[in-house]
Amino acid sequence: MKILLVAEYREGKLLGTSAELIEFTVRMDAQAVMFLVGNKQNLPQFDGRLYLADAAQAGEFNPAVHKQLLLEVIAREQPQLIAFPHSSYGWDLAPRVALALDATQFSEVVDVQEGHLIVPVCNAKLQRRMKAETEKTVVTLQAGAFTPTQSISATPEVIDLPVTGAGDIDFQGYEAAAAGGVDLSKAKVIVSAGRGIGKAENLEMVANLAKALKGEYAASRPVVDADWTDHSRQVGTTGQTVAPKLYIACGISGAIQHLAGMKKSDFVIAINTDKDAPIGEVADVLAVCDLKQLIPLLTEKINAQQA
Amino acid sequence: MEYTREIYWNIGQSLGVLLPMYLLAAAAVVFLCYQFAQRVKTYRQGQPLNRFDRWPTRLGHMIRGILLQTKVMRERLPGTAHALFFWGFLLLFIGTLLIFIQADFTDLFFDYRFLTGSFYLFFSLILDLAGLIAIVMLLGLLFRRALIRPAGLESKTEDWLIHALLLVVLITGFVIEGARMAVTEMGTSLALWSPVGLVFAKGLTGLEESTLRALHSYIWWLHLLLAIVFIALIPLTKLRHLFTTGVNYFLVDLGPKGLLPLIDLENEDAESFGAAQVQQLTWKDIYDADACTSCKRCQDRCPAWATDKPLSPMKLVQQIGAMAFHDQQANLPETLERDVLWACTTCLACQESCPASIEHVRKIVEVRRNLVLMEGEFPGHEVMTAMEHTEVNGNPLGLTFADRGNWAQDLPVIMAGDAPADILYFVGCYAAFDQRNQAVAKAFVTLCAAAGIRVAILGKQEKCCGEPMRKMGNEYLYQTLAQENIEQIKASGAAQIVTSCPHCYNTLNKDYRTFGLDLPVTHYTDYLAQLLEQGQLSLRAESFACTYHDSCYLGRHNGIYQSPRTLLHAAGARIIEMAKHEAESFCCGAGGGRILAEENLGTRISEKRVAMAADTRTPTLISSCPFCLSMFEDGIKGVGLEQQLQAQDLAELLLTRLTQATPQTADFVPK
Amino acid sequence: MNILVCIKQIPDMESRFKIDAAGTWYDQADLAWRMNEYDEFAVEQAVQLKEQLGDADLTVLSIGPDRTKEMIKKALAMGADRGVQVADDHSHLHDPHTIASLIATFARQHQFDLIFAGMQSQDRGSAQVGVLVAEMLGIPSLTTLVEFSYTDGTISAKRELEGGARALVSCTAPALVTCQLGLNTPRYPTLPNIMKAKKKELLTIPVGDLNPADPQQKTISMAFPEKRGSGLILEGDASELAERLMRILKEKTTVLV
Repeated sequence: MKILLVAEYREGKLLGTSAELIEFTVRMDAQAVMFLVGNKQNLPQFDGRLYLADAAQAGEFNPAVHKQLLLEVIAREQPQLIAFPHSSYGWDLAPRVALALDATQFSEVVDVQEGHLIVPVCNAKLQRRMKAETEKTVVTLQAGAFTPTQSISATPEVIDLPVTGAGDIDFQGYEAAAAGGVDLSKAKVIVSAGRGIGKAENLEMVANLAKALKGEYAASRPVVDADWTDHSRQVGTTGQTVAPKLYIACGISGAIQHLAGMKKSDFVIAINTDKDAPIGEVADVLAVCDLKQLIPLLTEKINAQQA
Repeated sequence: MEYTREIYWNIGQSLGVLLPMYLLAAAAVVFLCYQFAQRVKTYRQGQPLNRFDRWPTRLGHMIRGILLQTKVMRERLPGTAHALFFWGFLLLFIGTLLIFIQADFTDLFFDYRFLTGSFYLFFSLILDLAGLIAIVMLLGLLFRRALIRPAGLESKTEDWLIHALLLVVLITGFVIEGARMAVTEMGTSLALWSPVGLVFAKGLTGLEESTLRALHSYIWWLHLLLAIVFIALIPLTKLRHLFTTGVNYFLVDLGPKGLLPLIDLENEDAESFGAAQVQQLTWKDIYDADACTSCKRCQDRCPAWATDKPLSPMKLVQQIGAMAFHDQQANLPETLERDVLWACTTCLACQESCPASIEHVRKIVEVRRNLVLMEGEFPGHEVMTAMEHTEVNGNPLGLTFADRGNWAQDLPVIMAGDAPADILYFVGCYAAFDQRNQAVAKAFVTLCAAAGIRVAILGKQEKCCGEPMRKMGNEYLYQTLAQENIEQIKASGAAQIVTSCPHCYNTLNKDYRTFGLDLPVTHYTDYLAQLLEQGQLSLRAESFACTYHDSCYLGRHNGIYQSPRTLLHAAGARIIEMAKHEAESFCCGAGGGRILAEENLGTRISEKRVAMAADTRTPTLISSCPFCLSMFEDGIKGVGLEQQLQAQDLAELLLTRLTQATPQTADFVPK
Repeated sequence: MNILVCIKQIPDMESRFKIDAAGTWYDQADLAWRMNEYDEFAVEQAVQLKEQLGDADLTVLSIGPDRTKEMIKKALAMGADRGVQVADDHSHLHDPHTIASLIATFARQHQFDLIFAGMQSQDRGSAQVGVLVAEMLGIPSLTTLVEFSYTDGTISAKRELEGGARALVSCTAPALVTCQLGLNTPRYPTLPNIMKAKKKELLTIPVGDLNPADPQQKTISMAFPEKRGSGLILEGDASELAERLMRILKEKTTVLV
């Protein structure tokens, strides 16, 4: 099987998703070719043919032109599968290509089981095993679902693609993420502090753990009410509703208002001295322990691992 | 000698006296009537509301309210002072009237005098004492206003003027009497029957008779003029409460207490809902402003005001009056301010304490209705989310409706319709979904089972009763929920409903009646107290100390104070009451739909209440309302009293005192 | 201006899901239904545009069984002029391509200047339908919008990118846009609008009238994901627990990269 991987490039930089795309081909036991609208100075670590269009000509975001370039590559390579990251770039472009190819598309693929693609349903509460009934298939891959087990170091064989034609969308540039005010809904990891942290100073400990996990720290309502942190970090019905990949609840007993704000999280670890705290109902793991001892130890281990 | 006195002594009953006197009096009365007629026009801008039905009852309320000063005297010191002043002034008014009747009518036309003999002595003594009491009380109240200056009591020029006027009227009355007595009664036994007058007379002795007569004459005319001015001032100043407050006892809401008027959602001609302008309130809402005496008792008791929120029920009522009279086009939410309107917990402390029978809460909800139904506005996004949750899942917490009955698994509870039951337990959202309050629901059904009562629930067919939504102004959602619930209740074949939430209780027992729910509805405290009395429930008394919080919707709204205390005593409780208890109870902060909202302004009501409980130095704060329990759990954490104070629902406590065994589910529910 | 908003009814995500007898979708019983959150943003944006332009006609379309009408009424109460229900008791079995084909057929018949859609549905989450409809109609599509404005036939918008950055994009009508969370704050319908909505036109079109495309994919089976560590209680001393948590983080999550 041959898979065409569509790598991502933004603001002059290659995005890190190509390694996950490659891991997907490993899991599918397939050979891969890659497509990128980017530049030569910034090539993915990939051992294979890379079709490269110059972003300066094609535009970093120009779906109609990118689609056209992709269709040319597909015509040349005849892959059975075309894989995109499930990202603002991927989910925008993939259906355009799928329709042009008369191919079906599976979005946000999270796993491959016995050669079948698995897609989530209802916020990952359920999942489906899918079967395509078209000759070609387009997929988008959930970020983090195909984490490479080892890093690849290779230089691709670059095939230049000439850019012709214009799109129907005018792209004027980027606007940086707003400073201040924390948008927890976008955080992949949230470490949240409840009243059980005892005092305001202990919030730093929680923040450090969040930092180690490249996430955001948050708080339950009593912590915000006590002015230990600002309202933009509050999780719960009266704060933000979040659904990160990992939610660590530190000293949060689990008032219903709080649970409603975080129970959609993919994986929940609770650290609490009370074994019967209601947070246990939604937690995948409940560590019964004094958080003041556990959190610094855990942070240390994570930092050591990440280094 | 016959005891009497010469009326018009020194003045003379000539046309030169009578004509100006009666002309002035008539002018004052005409002026008063005209002014009130003008005010009535302003009241009539408001929407219709029938407050003239059941008039004998209303008349009874009015007579009792005015003559016995019952509502006024609920605030002990100033209330008693006001009542004594009122009674004194009333007697003086009646006395003066009697004098006119005799002098210018019965005596003049029929030669009939009744102010003679021992009646005169008695009359004289009573009036003297009445005048004295009125002066003393007036001075006392003046002392309070000028020197004690209770917080919140605002004094305007008008207040000082009225105090001065009344005082001068009373004192000049005694000066007139003193001057007359100094000339005519000194040394007679008759003088002893006018003791206060005698004191004034003694003060005047030594003056020449001619001087006394001149003084008497001047003061007499001054007194007359001031009395005329007094009458004319009534409609123009807060003295109008002489009439308006008394009449408001007639116009009182005869209940059910706190019940909001229904909006007719079927009316296709209605273009607007709720009140955005003062004309969209009822005439009574405008009239209430005229009945207000600025006594600030409502403000003193308002939990929002007490926690530094901008709501003063008194000011709100007065602002509505000011708008009706001076700024009819103004926008109510803008003028009253949204933060004020959303701060109300509908706890009814204002209305219950108001000596003028003003209805504050209806006004607030009426404006909220406009914000919600016409503008789609809520106090915060979290409240809108709660409304949407309720639309989708039938509970404001947004939890899946299908799980509503899950708490009852493995408990002796019947799904309504599956088997005959004695009561239908309307669980409510918090007891059904909130883990803390599920313990209360479980305790209640266990107590019932022990007493041999078969309890049924509607399970996933039950929805939020709609109380928080209705109080927030979302009448549409409330009515939808009410109709769906009533349909389910009727279909269940239940004969009696018991609730554990006072908000559900109040809603089912009052609001749902409008939609045809006619089953008896009881709160669990009443229900268990009844089982206890009938000997079906037996509790072990085990001594402990606690304080009990009266939920607003159990206490003030429904007068249930005794049953929870009876149950507590049966469990061995020594209740140390908080300073504010029973009708004076202080809200937990969750009423009026506030349970759905963040409390961003001022300090937390729940923390204030928890601090009051901690002041009793008892380890346990018992309540019997899921909202109160939730608020107290938060409040105790908020003020860091976890080590000292524990919040518990009455049902949870009773469970620990149960002496009977509970039947197993299998025995209980026929398969 | 002729505007179309595509909306979908989905179960509330809080629901306790069960798998249906065929084993390929969730059981429809005991679910609370609501408008897909992303579509609420779409309706709100369309209503705001109608308010801005004054002269605009706003149609909402949804594909689904009878209960779909309830949700269409909400959109009408929010300010849409007319509702269209493509009656289909089996809409949940259609793949995104088939759904898009139905909408495209309808759209071709009515010449819309602008089509709004949610960025994805909360249940299926394919994020395909909007783009597919635009491609089928041959009009530009802007996706994942968190800001939208329209002046004289030009749509200027901001797309949300990963990490909170935004891309500034524009195109000319006719076009299709898909709406991301945070685009606006959907209004709470006012009572007069709820009343008016009851009288607005709500058209039902049998699904067969819109030439549904043949399915391109099949669900083999549906299952609950393996619950990771579900309800695992760890006790012990802090250093031992830290060790065990590290193992769990590595095995069960993707955050340690």
